[in-house]
Amino acid sequence: MDSIEIEFLAEKAPVTIVPNFTHDKLYLISGDVGPFTAGLPVDIPLWLGINLRQRGKCRLVAPEWMDVEKLTEIKEEEKQSKVFTQMPCEHYLIVTQLLLSSAPEDIPNAQQIKTLVKDIWDLRISKLRSSVAEFIESEGTHATLDRLTLLEINSVRPFLPHAFDQLHRISKSAHGSNLSQTTQDIQY
Amino acid sequence: MSAALHYPSYYPSYFSIEDILATNEKVPCKFEKTACDLGFLDPSGGSKDLEVGTKLELPCWLARALASRRQIVSCQLPKTFRERYREILKADAALVDLHTLSPHFYELGQHLLPLAGPEGTTLGLLLVETLRERLRSIMDTSLNTTEDDAGTRQSKLDQLERSLFLTGRKTFRDHQLWLSRRAHIVTTSYMVTQHNKRKFSEVS
Repeated sequence: MDSIEIEFLAEKAPVTIVPNFTHDKLYLISGDVGPFTAGLPVDIPLWLGINLRQRGKCRLVAPEWMDVEKLTEIKEEEKQSKVFTQMPCEHYLIVTQLLLSSAPEDIPNAQQIKTLVKDIWDLRISKLRSSVAEFIESEGTHATLDRLTLLEINSVRPFLPHAFDQLHRISKSAHGSNLSQTTQDIQY
Repeated sequence: MSAALHYPSYYPSYFSIEDILATNEKVPCKFEKTACDLGFLDPSGGSKDLEVGTKLELPCWLARALASRRQIVSCQLPKTFRERYREILKADAALVDLHTLSPHFYELGQHLLPLAGPEGTTLGLLLVETLRERLRSIMDTSLNTTEDDAGTRQSKLDQLERSLFLTGRKTFRDHQLWLSRRAHIVTTSYMVTQHNKRKFSEVS
């Protein structure tokens, strides 16, 4: 999967906006949106929110977790914990990226949030790398990917599956030759 | 872009050029039977026939065919797969320059398995362990280094590892592009910019 495809999926996440116009309900294939009343917050899909924001029709409200204190807490927790911690949002990096690039003035402390989210991402990626390395060395056959987000999993794809394919192919042919060796021994 | 990022992992087939190149590597062989009228294969011999006991380096595909059922030749492992190099690889596989040692290390190794005789088990284990040990540094460099650094890293990898490395590079580049918000920009396809043939519209 490409990063853009994951971004597309992430754009379905809900976001709260405060519209400055009044409009009836919108009937979309993915579900009904609205009704919009000027000044009243409403939940809509992220893609629509960004579109409306770009046209100056609304103000975006930062999601609950997009807060310096909360993110610092998450970062600390991630640093302390040996396993992956639960992220507040499945597509945290993408949502941050989209919100901050389209409406940095709507998000309080935008710069700090950007650095914090990037830090969390880097922490998790380095954790992922070391656990993958451990997995390879321990000759494991399966791993659980609890609490990893789609974009994180995608960062080792398709490299990791391909690498394991090759490893499996080589060990299979090595094993196969062993088998034929032993059957030959029996024949002699 | 999206099409380039996703393809099944390599598997040797009849038409696979990698496989053909790998089976073309030379294997030291000794003739167990006299081969009539094949003296020209041994330029130093000068006789018409290949006598019993002649030592020649044959391509892997030929050696495999001659050694299997009729046992016309007996094979030795190429020096990369012998005891001395096995020890080097066992010591620290991640540091070895596999590309100069044998550019098709894993593929050739697999083709040699049936020729290795009693050493087959050790050889099989060697291949698996070498790849396993080298995988971590390949993953780290391919998914994290900058462009200019990647070239030097790549030069020490065998062909199979190199294809894995390039797969990782593609993911890395895709992510970098996305981070800088340039992933959605449509660019001219490489095929079009590098189009060297005359175009029909220009000719007529």
